Amino acid sequence: MTNDMTFHHTRLSNGLQIIAESNPDAHSFAAGLYVNTGSRDEAPEINGVSHFLEHMMFKGSSKYTWEDVNRIFDEMGANYNAYTSQENTAYFANVLPEFTERTIEHLSFLLRPAIRQEDFDTEKKVILEEIAMYLDDPGHRVYEALMETHFAGHPLGRSVLGSAEAISALKRDQMAEYFRRRYGPGNAILAAAGKLDFDQIVKIAKKYCGDWEPAEAGRQQREIKYEARSKGIVDVKLKRHYTMAMTPGPSAQDDRRFAARVLADVIGDEEGSRFYWALVDNAIADDADFGFYPHDGSGSFYMSISCDPKRAKKALKIARAELERVKTDLTEAEVERAKNKIASGIVLEGEVPMGRLRAIAGQWLYNKNYRSLEQDMQTLLAIDADALRRLMRDFPFDPMTIVSLGPK
Amino acid sequence: MDDRYFLHTFANGLTLLGEKMPAVQSAAMTLLLPAGSATDPAKRSGSAAVLSDLVLRGAGSRDSRQLTDYLDSLGLQRSSSVGVHHTRFGCAAVADRVVESLATYADIVRRPHLPQTGFDAARDLSLQGLEGLEDDPRQKLLVKLREWFLPSPLGNNPMGKVGDLKKLTLEFSKEDWKDRYHAGGAILALAGNIEFKKILDEAAKYFGDLPGMAEKPLELTPPPGPYHHERQKSEQTHIGIAYPSVPETDPDYYLVRAAMEVFGGGMSGRLFTEVREKRALCYSVWAGYTSMKSSGAILSYAGSSNDRAQATLDCIIGEIHRLAKGITQAELDRAKIGLKAGTIMQGESTSARCGTIAHDYFMRGRIRTLDEIKKEIDQLTVDQVNKYLASHPPGPFTIVTVGPKKLRV
Repeated sequence: MTNDMTFHHTRLSNGLQIIAESNPDAHSFAAGLYVNTGSRDEAPEINGVSHFLEHMMFKGSSKYTWEDVNRIFDEMGANYNAYTSQENTAYFANVLPEFTERTIEHLSFLLRPAIRQEDFDTEKKVILEEIAMYLDDPGHRVYEALMETHFAGHPLGRSVLGSAEAISALKRDQMAEYFRRRYGPGNAILAAAGKLDFDQIVKIAKKYCGDWEPAEAGRQQREIKYEARSKGIVDVKLKRHYTMAMTPGPSAQDDRRFAARVLADVIGDEEGSRFYWALVDNAIADDADFGFYPHDGSGSFYMSISCDPKRAKKALKIARAELERVKTDLTEAEVERAKNKIASGIVLEGEVPMGRLRAIAGQWLYNKNYRSLEQDMQTLLAIDADALRRLMRDFPFDPMTIVSLGPK
Repeated sequence: MDDRYFLHTFANGLTLLGEKMPAVQSAAMTLLLPAGSATDPAKRSGSAAVLSDLVLRGAGSRDSRQLTDYLDSLGLQRSSSVGVHHTRFGCAAVADRVVESLATYADIVRRPHLPQTGFDAARDLSLQGLEGLEDDPRQKLLVKLREWFLPSPLGNNPMGKVGDLKKLTLEFSKEDWKDRYHAGGAILALAGNIEFKKILDEAAKYFGDLPGMAEKPLELTPPPGPYHHERQKSEQTHIGIAYPSVPETDPDYYLVRAAMEVFGGGMSGRLFTEVREKRALCYSVWAGYTSMKSSGAILSYAGSSNDRAQATLDCIIGEIHRLAKGITQAELDRAKIGLKAGTIMQGESTSARCGTIAHDYFMRGRIRTLDEIKKEIDQLTVDQVNKYLASHPPGPFTIVTVGPKKLRV
């Protein structure tokens, strides 16, 4: 059971951090390389390079071609993927424990890409298709516009995908230079969870990542200027109205982040939340969420509503009224219900190695420490309505950026 | 069957399934009722979907808010959906909470309040969902592909049609609830940290006397035709291809799964390699096997910029035909590992397992053990797969596109 989980960590001489949580009862092994870099670390003229580079990792290294890269993962039956966000890029795989060494070896070569010109030119077309795909998704369009408007000029507001123009203009050498700067071992974490032997993992990591050249990385923290901003985008071909809003919240390093997660569920969980009863139960909107989105050094609450264009004003007004009301009439019972749902989520996620990998890597990326499942559970259970009330005094949902997209 | 699994069919037709999973605290529950979109009454498509929302708006001694608050207080992660054959309610949480919730799910199934205001809202949400589909060409493509490929009513959109939904009334929904929320062919599955005796006692107490009726046979109408285009102003043209395959109970089923793993599985699969990696025609492209009660199908999807969509369609069709010429030993070896690893890793999740045993029972009338699946996969040979592929040429194809312009098919 979860009680048998043990945590280990070390750092190689070149700066690569290795963290692992072993669970003798697990049937599988999950590992990932997490890099502290994303679209907020890009200069405007290379916007989109982090995500494009993530694709290029699968195009091969000095040792492997792109065909080898995919074939080797599939020969292990790996469940593998990668993602890029505003502030980190991750590559991970879930395999049977017998493939532990092969997986780490493969991930290590994955992160030392050749970035061949020919592959770069081909993959650029795939990226342009991905951008086109998201342009057909109104939810994504309004999200990108919200981030850009809310962070107004701050690097967090930059698109992860980049624009078609920026990607078309991007040169192979600009990507190679970004890679050298941002993918040094000191800026990365090798994380593992599930059935594993830590000494073996360290040995394998030394063998395959020990010669990675150190590089300076870090992240410039710039002040974010928050103010109430709004933007309306009209697209006559749309049938529905999409509204998103963002307002400051605690950061990924802030102890108040746990209470923020509970508060977000009280206000906007899919079922049984305040937004549910005020907007979805009565069909004013078919979707109304409120969520918490922590970042490195800052944080946000966001809301998202989709509804009939005729009901858009009413829906937003109701949502804003709920955000005021919760400050004065929050009950202990609704806090308990939200906590119970989150606690179930922690238990369920803890039962699969990929779930624990996500949890320990996320914690280490932002806080450079480990939290066990039990610690997360204890922290959660200690939260009460007062903690949420204090949080709302510190972060009173103001100022708020509101962006909408609809047919009029 | 080994003692990891449990199966009991009550006199009313409800089957209880259990899978004990060592080393987990959680459990997950799936309840399948014989109220799928395929049995939506004539001219009342979408009725099961409206009902699946409506029954959650108050049941037993609790009104809508009390019911939701209670299920939330148990910490249940819940879901409900309507598929071709069933209405499905599911939840997952710490095991004893899931078992505790059975009494309340019995209220939802057997004693829903079905209030007028709740009906109006549920129907309104269904209509909004249909309208939302117009803004989501990818999702719309998948709905249209099923409509044009499968015989009606199997291919009907579970969300229903606008005209039918507008005619739906509360009185009608009440009748529909009486007709279709019964035990005949219903399945209740639990997986995780469970005791078989306990779940048997609870299921008997709450569902053992739920009336059960015989299932009515479906009258199938052939689908409309081989190619359909939906005009839409979109950045990409969304392409769907479907063709018939064997049902899950067919002796050739694992041969098909292996062939499709070679074709559409992983990033080294042929489809991904040829369409995306070599030609960069798409970001999203996939293909896979899917099944109904007594039939199977291969579905494939790709989205490409409008000026490259024709090349994408031609490339996928070309690859489907090339698959018929056979696969290599190395491809089969990878496919076997992929299928087996997927099975083992899925075995770690209570939600995944309870969904799978319920599905297995519905399709086959029994649970396949993990060992059985591994054995079936191990036995496959290249000769068998290739013989199957050679004697079952792909087609006839149904193709649907959503985008500004028709494609040549």
